[in-house]
Amino acid sequence: MARRRKKLEAGSWKLEAGTQQQPPPAAQAAPPPAPQGPPRNWPPVADRTLIGKSIKRLDGPDKAQGKAKYTYDIIRPGMLYGRLLGSPHAHARIKGIDLSAAEKLAGVKAVLALKDPAGEGANGKAFYQGDEIAAVAATTEEIAEDAVRLIKVEYEPLQALATAAQAMSADAPAVFPKGNVSQQSLQQEGDVEAALKSAAHIVEGTYSTQVQTHTSLETHGGICEWEGEKLTAWVSTQAVHGARDGIAGSLKIPQTNVRVITDYMGGGFGSKLGFDYQVVVCARLAKLANAPVKLMLNRKEEHLVTGNRPSAYAKVRAGVDAKGKLVAFDAETWGTGGAGAGAAFRVPYPIYVFPSRRQRHRDAYTNAGPQRAFRAPGHPQASFITEVVLDELADKLRLDPLELRMRNVLSATDPSQEDPSRQWRKYFPMGAEKIGWSKRHPTGDPASGPIKRGMGCAGNTWGGAGSRATRANCQILPDGSVLARIGTQDIGTGTRTLVAIVAAETMGLPLTGVKAEIGDTNYPFAPGSGGSVTVASVSATMRIACENARDELFAKVAPALGVEPSALAAKDGRIQVKDAPSKGMTWREACKLLGVQPISADGAFGPGLSSTGTSGVQFADVEVDIETGVTRVKRIVCVQDCGTIMDKLTAESQVYGGIIMGLGFALYENRILDRNTARMVNPNMEWYLLPGMSDIPEIDITLVDQPDRGPVGLGEPPVISTAAAVANAVANAIGVRVRKLPLSPDAILQALNEERTGGTL
Amino acid sequence: MAPKKKDEPGFSRRSFLKTVGAGGVAAGVLGPASTAEGQNVKAIGPAASPIQLNVNGKFHRLEVEPRVTLLDALRTRLNITGPKRVCDRGSCGACTVILDGRTVYSCSMLAIEAQGKVIRTAEGLTEGTVLHSVQRAFCDHDGLMCGFCTPGFVTAAVALLEKNPKPTRQEARKALDGNICRCGTYPRVLEAALNPKSAAGVKRG
Repeated sequence: MARRRKKLEAGSWKLEAGTQQQPPPAAQAAPPPAPQGPPRNWPPVADRTLIGKSIKRLDGPDKAQGKAKYTYDIIRPGMLYGRLLGSPHAHARIKGIDLSAAEKLAGVKAVLALKDPAGEGANGKAFYQGDEIAAVAATTEEIAEDAVRLIKVEYEPLQALATAAQAMSADAPAVFPKGNVSQQSLQQEGDVEAALKSAAHIVEGTYSTQVQTHTSLETHGGICEWEGEKLTAWVSTQAVHGARDGIAGSLKIPQTNVRVITDYMGGGFGSKLGFDYQVVVCARLAKLANAPVKLMLNRKEEHLVTGNRPSAYAKVRAGVDAKGKLVAFDAETWGTGGAGAGAAFRVPYPIYVFPSRRQRHRDAYTNAGPQRAFRAPGHPQASFITEVVLDELADKLRLDPLELRMRNVLSATDPSQEDPSRQWRKYFPMGAEKIGWSKRHPTGDPASGPIKRGMGCAGNTWGGAGSRATRANCQILPDGSVLARIGTQDIGTGTRTLVAIVAAETMGLPLTGVKAEIGDTNYPFAPGSGGSVTVASVSATMRIACENARDELFAKVAPALGVEPSALAAKDGRIQVKDAPSKGMTWREACKLLGVQPISADGAFGPGLSSTGTSGVQFADVEVDIETGVTRVKRIVCVQDCGTIMDKLTAESQVYGGIIMGLGFALYENRILDRNTARMVNPNMEWYLLPGMSDIPEIDITLVDQPDRGPVGLGEPPVISTAAAVANAVANAIGVRVRKLPLSPDAILQALNEERTGGTL
Repeated sequence: MAPKKKDEPGFSRRSFLKTVGAGGVAAGVLGPASTAEGQNVKAIGPAASPIQLNVNGKFHRLEVEPRVTLLDALRTRLNITGPKRVCDRGSCGACTVILDGRTVYSCSMLAIEAQGKVIRTAEGLTEGTVLHSVQRAFCDHDGLMCGFCTPGFVTAAVALLEKNPKPTRQEARKALDGNICRCGTYPRVLEAALNPKSAAGVKRG
């Protein structure tokens, strides 16, 4: 996490999965520097009027009425529509691009070639299907599509690498300049070979997870409008400031000349953290056409080029001693993040103590769209591999897998101290109680008939600390209105509502008494909404800005009340003396004392108002039909903490969402590439399967509030352990291990078949 | 998940319509194309033709090429952007509108086919500034996160409750199975649809 935050702050948006996986919470983040201003704190728990309550999101009505304008919805005067031409080939040399017919089509205002047939390397080649070749802007979207069809490209198709295995095979063609496979990295601690020799039981197996695409409902893209040398870009992004810097850098114009706006955005899940090439193309088209241009990707392009969760493979040997203490974990791992992109993940998953461990990892490069950060990068993969191995070890020991976890899960470094970020030892029994673990049968449902029932569990960890780079501004106006401004963005998590909650709580006003303004680079810097840093960054910094503003108001009001400013409190819409609440005035009367000069106070992120490190567990109860291979998840139980809960309602939604996305990863989602051409077989939403209403089990969430810690991010944690818990439940049901995701009917039938012909257990 | 649903018992005609796109069915079954062998049918297009659409109680005159979908006509010609374009091929429900009382995927119907129909979108459900009871329930239950799928879910829920004000959990799930949410709001969307207050504000008809 520390490493990741550094990356974010450095403005480097090339996030690579795996570099973001944090060590166990104890090893995290040196304490931030001492605060500049007076010490700041959250109000005492008993005094909180909004924080921790179930607050409805402020933009709910606009969204439910279809009035919220997303980037995709905005229409600017005189706006043109842009479209891209992507390579139909996963690997090809571009031998010629003829734009002339497209340029002549009525209604076409700009055409750009994005590859150069004479160019070197990636400039003259397509390295994956959808790799951008050319772009057009026209008066209607239909004409833009016609124009794209008129562009003639001469391709020389080259042999493509569709799978990690193909890339790693000895006779693979040399596709990538630096080789098809990365150097092997090595992580190790202790003597793995010796430890394995000492183990009472050893499990050996190969485990794998598929490529998952983000499938944000709003596709990537933006609207670019020039006014002279100044560019305004409405972008569907998780990072307005990152997008601004990326666009300015690519166009080689000053960052001050670019303004990025994201009022509403329709999902990103990590894929919209980096600035997007298509927005740069959009800006170039707009410049060329001298008109605003909207360029939004279509669904197929979204699947192909906007990132994914890389695949993961692990050949594992793991050992446990006769007393149920884990002794060693040895893994040779690989995976593919597509063209030139990494696929790192860290095993064993760091919440279990394996005294000796070793991981040798290689990235395999394939002719597919490069990966991007995807909600808890590396974690669901590592969690699946580790938790399934744990259950297999428990079976060898004939021990309850829950008991094995209790004996080996991390706890506080100092046993006399409670570590609020390492609560698994408490949460596993809580979850077990809720799911009815005592009724769980040993592996293999003994019931007759084709429907088998089973239970499984898994744990998770995440950092979620705030970013020290965060800044915020709070204004109190003479008419009593309050403006809370911060250059963050609401990606569906409820950030806009969070900002208002913090401001209103601080001013002692109702939510309607403050206005939250976000999603604009004209507002103070806040980090991209990635790594679950937003709630900690934004709420801590906004609290400081608001307290600074409120203290200025206290200073104005104090003489009128004949007290020191420090004796005042803002409560129930009044400024009043703490010890004599009847002595005071209404908020509006107080603000009138400002005359014509509003208060404007800034805040910089400070320590103490937020924390880092979360723990959580999930349990699954499933039914598997061993005749059809179809798995139905009946129930998920989740126990999760996230420090201080800021808004209970939206926090719960976040957990529902993570679990459901985890179910997709467990059961349905799979980016399928044709093994010969490396073209995607299912770049749509009918064959790229996402969970739907009828697939949703009963979900039982226990959110553990830690009101004294300050908030910690919650976006990532709930997605991590769902697939692992479901996989363990499936094995518990059918008595056979399925060592790969997704747990599709064919994968389950295949595993059952292998069991009949020799066994996997 | 739409394709999977066909294999399940209880697969409904409605979900079939949603799966293949109401456009195709309307043209094949209900449309004026019943004229023998297409004779005497006036050819339209390929140039833009004037059409009239009745959306949210207002008549709009516009010119569109026959290939323009109802969704694109609403969004890019009329600036009615509640219906979203997500999959653009009838599998996600984000573009759901209510057309003559039943839900259709507006991405899978041509604008010219929608003439003479009563079209309602999420925007049209609000009366003045007063939220429709279903919209209110979505907000109360937090049945929305990023909100991109929300107008589609809201219209699907309204259409359900107009036909069946007291749906069972199973009926409500089935009626909302044609819509996809990526944030994972399903449990709360379902609670919103099942909240009796939702149906209380629904006009039967």
